[in-house]
Amino acid sequence: MMELIGSILVLLGAIFHFSAGLGMLRMPDAYTRMQAGTKASTLGNTLVLAGLAIYHPGWSLKLLIIVYFVLMTNPVSSHALARAAYGIRIPMAGDTGIDALRDSRQKTGGGT
Amino acid sequence: MIRRLFTIVAIVSFGLVFASLAIGYTEQQFLRPLAESYVRLVPQALGAPNVITGILLTYRGFDTLGEVAVLFMVAASVGLVLGAGRSPPSVSSEDRPEEARPPSEIVRSGAEILVPLISIFAAYIIMNGHLSAGGGFQGGAVIASGVLLMLLAYPQFQPNLEFLSATESVAGALFVLAGIAGLIVAGGFLDNRILPLGQFGAFFSAGAIPLLSVLLGVKVGCELSVILEKFRP
Repeated sequence: MMELIGSILVLLGAIFHFSAGLGMLRMPDAYTRMQAGTKASTLGNTLVLAGLAIYHPGWSLKLLIIVYFVLMTNPVSSHALARAAYGIRIPMAGDTGIDALRDSRQKTGGGT
Repeated sequence: MIRRLFTIVAIVSFGLVFASLAIGYTEQQFLRPLAESYVRLVPQALGAPNVITGILLTYRGFDTLGEVAVLFMVAASVGLVLGAGRSPPSVSSEDRPEEARPPSEIVRSGAEILVPLISIFAAYIIMNGHLSAGGGFQGGAVIASGVLLMLLAYPQFQPNLEFLSATESVAGALFVLAGIAGLIVAGGFLDNRILPLGQFGAFFSAGAIPLLSVLLGVKVGCELSVILEKFRP
């Protein structure tokens, strides 16, 4: 029973990883690609590792540390990449309506 | 059209190559004689459960020394190429204000949490090289990734290059000295039996292998950090 639950979780994680890959191919610009890759692969990693933890209860602590590490690093790195892409003015997709970063900078009065 | 055709042909031929590899694969039932003698000899003679580290740091220790020397040459040539026409960092950041974007709060907070974690992980990898997967080279690379994160989160962070060079040189000299001690006391250059083997599988065991791992980790970490520092704009 535990094996079955673990396997299903791993499979779910694999589906999320697949959707991350699909998003990388299908999304129109750098920013949306980045968010597809990051969100889906963070959740996919977490699910795969949780499934492994159910499958091998002895590994739980180490897997928990890895999950923590992924949850810490993945959003931070994609945030830094997206910000750098914004900084060198990589164009957004044509129908992007809202640019919150520009709006907030205009509101605070300034600078680049 | 022709490009797409080429792509398809390339993918199909790659698929055929890999398919033939996958179909022809049979799991090896027996170790080859060389592998078998290593697998038997390393835990017995060197007292290291991790056979690969035992081979790398003892039987192939001279080779490892050569690899570290190659890395040192890379660091030296990167310094030569990138360091020559380079203005001091304080001037360049004032000259080009739009390139000196401050790192965001998220990156900075992330670095505050992650750098200690990365350092602990590096120490763990280096110190457990003789027991499980790991060793000096890998741990040194992890140290350098922590330094890279520091460089990203704090652009003003200035690693002390003299200190790094001195540490790296001392670690390298100690590595060679340990090798020569092996030549005098034990069976040959970089023999790990200059220190007592200790209990098999314990933290302090396998003779000089943990010591050599630490020296190697410090040396590789310093070298890679110097290289990363040179790439700073």
